Amino acid sequence: MTVPERLAALNALRDGPERQAAIIAAMEDSAIPVRDAAIRLAARYIEPHVLGTFVADDVNAVLRNAAIAALERQGPYAVPYLEQMLAADNHEVAMFVLQVLARSGSTRSASAILPLLRHPDANVAQAAIEALGRLRSYEAVPALLGMLGQNLWLQLAAIAALGEIGAPEAVGPLLALVPDTLVAEPAVQSLQKIAAPDALVPLLERLQDDRERALRDSILEAIGVVIDMHPDARGAAASFGQACLAPDAPGNVLGYLAGILGANEAAAGRPADFGDGEPIQGGGSLLRAAAGVVVVAQLRPLYPSLLVYAGHPDSGNWVEALWRRHGNLSSEELRDLVGHADPTIRRGALLVGSYDPEDLPIIMGRMSDESATVRAAACRALGALGDPQVVPTLIDRLQHGEAIERAAAADALGRMPAEALDVLLPLITPTSPVETLLLVLPVFERCGSSRFEEAALALCRHRVTSVRRAACRVLARLPGQRAELALLRAMGDKDEAIQLSALDLLVRRGGQQNVTTLIGLLSASDSLRYHVIRALGRLRAEAAVPKLSDLYDACALHERLEIVAALIAIAPPGLVPFLVSRLAASEREEIRQIAAHGVAALAEPNDVGILLLMAGDADWTVRNEAAAGLGRLGLPAGQTALLTLVRDVEAVVAQTARAALQQLGGGSLRAIA
Amino acid sequence: MTVAVEAEWRLLTGLIESRFGLCFPGIRREILESRLRDRLQELHLESYHEYYRYLRAHPQREAEFGQLACRITNNETYFFREAHHFEVLTREIVPPLLPQLRSRPLRLLSAGCSSGEEAYSLAITLQNAALDRAGVTWEIDACDVNAERIARARAGIYEESALRACDPETRARYFTQAGGRYRLNDRHRAGVRFLEVNLAAPGAPLLAGTYDAILCRNLLIYFSHEAFDGLIRQFAGWLRPGGYLLLGHAESLIDRGTEFEPVCLPDAVVYRAASAAA
Repeated sequence: MTVPERLAALNALRDGPERQAAIIAAMEDSAIPVRDAAIRLAARYIEPHVLGTFVADDVNAVLRNAAIAALERQGPYAVPYLEQMLAADNHEVAMFVLQVLARSGSTRSASAILPLLRHPDANVAQAAIEALGRLRSYEAVPALLGMLGQNLWLQLAAIAALGEIGAPEAVGPLLALVPDTLVAEPAVQSLQKIAAPDALVPLLERLQDDRERALRDSILEAIGVVIDMHPDARGAAASFGQACLAPDAPGNVLGYLAGILGANEAAAGRPADFGDGEPIQGGGSLLRAAAGVVVVAQLRPLYPSLLVYAGHPDSGNWVEALWRRHGNLSSEELRDLVGHADPTIRRGALLVGSYDPEDLPIIMGRMSDESATVRAAACRALGALGDPQVVPTLIDRLQHGEAIERAAAADALGRMPAEALDVLLPLITPTSPVETLLLVLPVFERCGSSRFEEAALALCRHRVTSVRRAACRVLARLPGQRAELALLRAMGDKDEAIQLSALDLLVRRGGQQNVTTLIGLLSASDSLRYHVIRALGRLRAEAAVPKLSDLYDACALHERLEIVAALIAIAPPGLVPFLVSRLAASEREEIRQIAAHGVAALAEPNDVGILLLMAGDADWTVRNEAAAGLGRLGLPAGQTALLTLVRDVEAVVAQTARAALQQLGGGSLRAIA
Repeated sequence: MTVAVEAEWRLLTGLIESRFGLCFPGIRREILESRLRDRLQELHLESYHEYYRYLRAHPQREAEFGQLACRITNNETYFFREAHHFEVLTREIVPPLLPQLRSRPLRLLSAGCSSGEEAYSLAITLQNAALDRAGVTWEIDACDVNAERIARARAGIYEESALRACDPETRARYFTQAGGRYRLNDRHRAGVRFLEVNLAAPGAPLLAGTYDAILCRNLLIYFSHEAFDGLIRQFAGWLRPGGYLLLGHAESLIDRGTEFEPVCLPDAVVYRAASAAA
């Protein structure tokens, strides 16, 4: 038989004694697709104790691997049996079972695994350590700390497990292993995973040790993660920073960090004029960590090297966020850096600064910089200051600047008080250039002030689609009926993109008037009605329920589907019987699927019988919804069905059932199994 | 991704797989997610399930499948990619057919042709082999599910990157440069026909038993097991008895129990329809 024929035969198997034998035979098939299908079926139809016998078969590795995979898929269903197998005389079996338990995510198995830490076979003990790490078993931490003094393999496994668990108690013992032991690097990696604030200062101290570059890089990466998690990294790193700046600083930390910052620059082949389109290595964890140390330890000599990365598309976001969180340039530093010969450093300083009013002259001075990118950064800085006296300057850039300046000026103007922006009104008349309109309207949108309502209303009838859309967006931010009516009118726009945009904006505004209008639109059988139905669902418009229900039988499938989805979102009382009738076998597959979703979301405890029926449905999406619904209700009556669904041939269903069982708690599960 | 979203994803990708045969494991899933994100935004849809419903029931669903095909296919290709296959064709496959080719054209299929680089490379190869002087004519069919790519293939105009494996002499000989792009000269486009075809769907408009060789390279790696097997069966039907199937270097029919048998040549492993060998 060919592979497709073997697959078809396997999937056609019916309940009976031959099925188990055929599945087991297929678990050894030479073709991977057939073996995969057999494993799915084995998980569903073969009991764990049968599969367990194959795990003990050390002659037939193919069957053993397939059985292990099937047990893993069975997850919670197989766990009680697997826990019994941990006591097997065959050490290899115990090792495999530990791996299966770990991959199954059975956190409640930790107490059964813990005694194996003292297993005489080091391989089993190591597998137990790894399993406890993978299960993130916090109760195992004291025992794992005790194993840091064991032989090298167990020590390595314990170090890794403590990192996986993220145990803060492990910070001291792990730091004791750095830098002078064989396991220093794994210990640092675990410290990185734990990311405890307490580790910052000791790790910074160890950064001064320059004997081994690979270890130093690992320490730096760990520091980068700890800085991210630290509530006051700048305070904690202050002494370290001062020590690094001293003439006799140990380990030349400045040189080391400069090498990392500069190495990235060099790798980029940075040209004299460092354009935004020029690629740089913007996201390496080592670079980010070095940047973090520079900022929190206030290593001022390295600020220029770091600021090069601010404002660049690859790295600008995280560099600017780093400064905003941990850094603060003084006025003096700002003045020095914005006067730097390199325009990228001038730009960077303007982008990362957090300014005081007295910094205004420094920033204004850069509005005449020779580089447009620096002038654009100055515009943004002026926006951050929010001082209305700079509005004329920003308007000048909006009208006469280069493209990058115009965008920055528009953004900055949007941050100004609305009353300072009246001077923009003459710029936006129906006869203004489209480019200007598209720059100014987002400024008004950002302000959200009614003083621009008239102008936006006038532009709602503009000949250019993008202008009409931008005007609608301004109106969507404004309260009152005039704006709302304009948006409702936009739903009749000749351009469908505007119609949909207006509909979206109306939904975001909410409001009863909108609902009434949208219900009225249900009478028109056009392409917009599909979107109106969805909008009513998003608005959770209970008033629309009668009209939607009346419409159901009269419209096409795509609208019927959206009506069911909208009704589920609105969730009116008594909807479940309607949904249950949509589950009938005679209904379209798509209708049954969405109805099942509704039943899962809305069923009450007395509807559990429907969910149990859904759990046996031929359509996996219906079974999946049954699992979700049973998990939501959390009733004991659902547990047996969930233990079947957890072995479902469709992995997603098994995953949903597993999550549902976790919601129910493991204790009752053990009792049932 | 939550369990609920995972289920929606499975539903949507199941539909895509049944329509196009394509599956999206690992990094390909991330690529698909990012491409679908944009499309959902354009359609004002908010979830994978809404998009699934759109594809299942909306009146515009067929047009949307066309759009989807353009977004989910990997169109990476260039002229004379894996050039040894073109040599195998003229050195090993065509010579034994020469007696037959006096009375009928040589027929080749480029399956999953993207913007036509492979099909045109075949045409250039056959011209260079001077088969026309031996009285041999040829017909090259090229098909792809991506309508945009088929339109580009028909236009025959290429960016620099499509010619990355061509030396300056080849470029000058076969292309006319215009505005930073390269137009394939008309004489090398003759005999090549492009068709918009979903290879994963039954009833493709290709004639059974007519092709001497099919090139389907770096396409099957994106197919599900079922779609892979189905397409191989289709290829077997479209080939003449003894016809050849040439796959990409990462694709193999070994141990798949197909109608083809591997033929080990000095520079490549190709597959021959087993019915003819028997």
